[in-house]
Amino acid sequence: MSVVFHSLRWRVQLWHGAILLLAVLAFCLTAYRLAWASQLRHIDKSIAQNEWTMFHGLMVACRPEGVDKGSVPPEAIVERLRAGTLAVPATVAARFGGNEPGYLYFAIYDRDGRRLLHSENLPADSALPQPEQDTGELYRLVGSRRETMHGGPGGLIVVSGRDITAERESLHRFAWSLGALGLAVWSFGLLGGWWLAGRAIKPIATISRTATRIAAGNLSERIDVQGTDSELDQLGRVLNDTFDRLHETLEQQKRFTADASHELRTPITILLSETQRILKRERTPAEYEEAIRTCHDTAARMRRLVEALLLLARQEASGAAPRESCDLAAILRETIAQLAPLAKERGIDVRAELSPTRCDGDPASLAILASNLVANAIQHHSTGGHVEVSCATAAHSVAFSVRDDGPGIPAEDLPHIFRRFYRVDKARAGASGHTGLGLAIAKAIVDNHGGSISVSSPVGHGTRFTVTLPTAPTGSAPAPRG
Amino acid sequence: MRLLVIEDDPALLRTLAASLREENYAVDTAADGADGLLKAQQNTYDAILLDVMLPKLDGWGVLAALRPANRTPVLMLTALDAVPARIKGLDAGADDYLTKPFDIDELLARLRALIRRAAGQTSTRIAIGELSIDTAARRATVAGEEIVLTAREYALLEYLALHRGEVVTRAALYEHLFDEADDSLSNLLDVHVSNLRKKLGRDLIATRRGHGYCIE
Repeated sequence: MSVVFHSLRWRVQLWHGAILLLAVLAFCLTAYRLAWASQLRHIDKSIAQNEWTMFHGLMVACRPEGVDKGSVPPEAIVERLRAGTLAVPATVAARFGGNEPGYLYFAIYDRDGRRLLHSENLPADSALPQPEQDTGELYRLVGSRRETMHGGPGGLIVVSGRDITAERESLHRFAWSLGALGLAVWSFGLLGGWWLAGRAIKPIATISRTATRIAAGNLSERIDVQGTDSELDQLGRVLNDTFDRLHETLEQQKRFTADASHELRTPITILLSETQRILKRERTPAEYEEAIRTCHDTAARMRRLVEALLLLARQEASGAAPRESCDLAAILRETIAQLAPLAKERGIDVRAELSPTRCDGDPASLAILASNLVANAIQHHSTGGHVEVSCATAAHSVAFSVRDDGPGIPAEDLPHIFRRFYRVDKARAGASGHTGLGLAIAKAIVDNHGGSISVSSPVGHGTRFTVTLPTAPTGSAPAPRG
Repeated sequence: MRLLVIEDDPALLRTLAASLREENYAVDTAADGADGLLKAQQNTYDAILLDVMLPKLDGWGVLAALRPANRTPVLMLTALDAVPARIKGLDAGADDYLTKPFDIDELLARLRALIRRAAGQTSTRIAIGELSIDTAARRATVAGEEIVLTAREYALLEYLALHRGEVVTRAALYEHLFDEADDSLSNLLDVHVSNLRKKLGRDLIATRRGHGYCIE
């Protein structure tokens, strides 16, 4: 359960619910208070009105016979009240009496706190003026009554009140309906919030599910990006890019492992089959010799492959090559000299146009790079062909190229030739004697030197490999060409 | 029994073919998928050994072109040992799947099983009356007594025994007992048949004139 409440949707919902509850409560309380205040004003007004009616009645009663106009001095009223000879007229008195809901009552006190006149239904707990004290005005709620007390004309103190049971009940009803309305608004808000939070989170949940499936191994799947530029789309794109790279790396790794195991298994199969076959019975010395030669050739092939794999692994693991200043032309010359027997055997004429070219790099790796490219050109050429090796210095780089006038590389193969174990002629190591790793190693070496390698092979015009290596920007000035 | 081996690695092809020939199979070879497919379609083989990674046309391609019309048993040989690759091979119509490096004896046993199954046999032993043929040891006995046979005689006997009750034409026998390197004359077959009759008795192999031979 705690896991459920940790979900983003629940957390958003909890916060949303709490804030909405506060807002609804504040609204309901304010509405209730405003309604109650307005009700009280209304009640007070009605009390004051009735009090005035009562006084008016007293005044009329105070007038001498036959006079029905003009004011009566308050002293006269007080005097008559003290004397107990003044009573409110019956029409007015009818208003003050009974205990029906909404009944009115009053009491009149003199300055000393003596009660001079009161309605019959005056409640026992009505306010009493305190002698020797400036009472001023008093508004209060007693039980289900509203009561006021204030000074009247001639030093009189008037207490008047009214039963407000009906108003209280109506306010009560109002409070209930307000509460119900608040609850309804809150529930509706919660539902809306839940829906909204769900809607906002749904893409995240989708992304999460897709990512989980991808992580579980379904690497070709991708997160669906809506095409808008929302934050979630950006997240989706970032994740998709990551998955793309991951997928590519894994695929490469898988392909490499499959290829390497294939390349290693074939010679092992030959060794096992051949030895098993030859040991089955007595053989002539010639047969033994042939079998041993097969095994030797196969073992030599495995050695080449293992060496190439190790070289590749070292290049890929070593990172940036150690730099030292060396002459590219000298390295190329030495390479050509080493490969001269192979070139002679295959009837290829290798020419070099080399000027001293200083570059920064690892001479051993550069020698392997040059050897791989030149040997590649020699091996893929037919007898009588030419291979040209040249090097040159540019502003911030040095370049060398290996060019042949052979059959060239088919356009569909060009993008793949630096891939490990990619062979244009699809012939296996056993047939051609090369491992299929030469150009991959060359590329790894160039990458380690921060350079670039490119190949162009226009149909019928041979193939040219060009390697460009950056020179250190602060290094010595390029050597003059000679 | 005549086999076709499609394998692009020349050294492996050589040693495989030599091993199979020493087991008295007639063996044709092909170094790429296209050549292999052509031979498989032109000739009748008792089984085909097929590598997967082949130039020109890979093993899947060869299999796809062969099936379903061609029912020759196919044993795939490959360095791809992942389970999906094996499943793909078997589902594509291969009858068996062997990963490199393999044991040559296992390969031979699987081949025998494939050929046996294709002929409707369930055991390495075929009994015809007193005659008993052990296809694993490649020996024939009559009433417990071993009969010494040459490789060709044994191959002829095994083929006829595996197709017992059927009339096997001379053309079919040439197809299955000699590989493309052999240029045996047609009367050579008659010589083998007559030798077999001498060793096993006149009545075993019946001649259906104008049709071929038959073991009832």
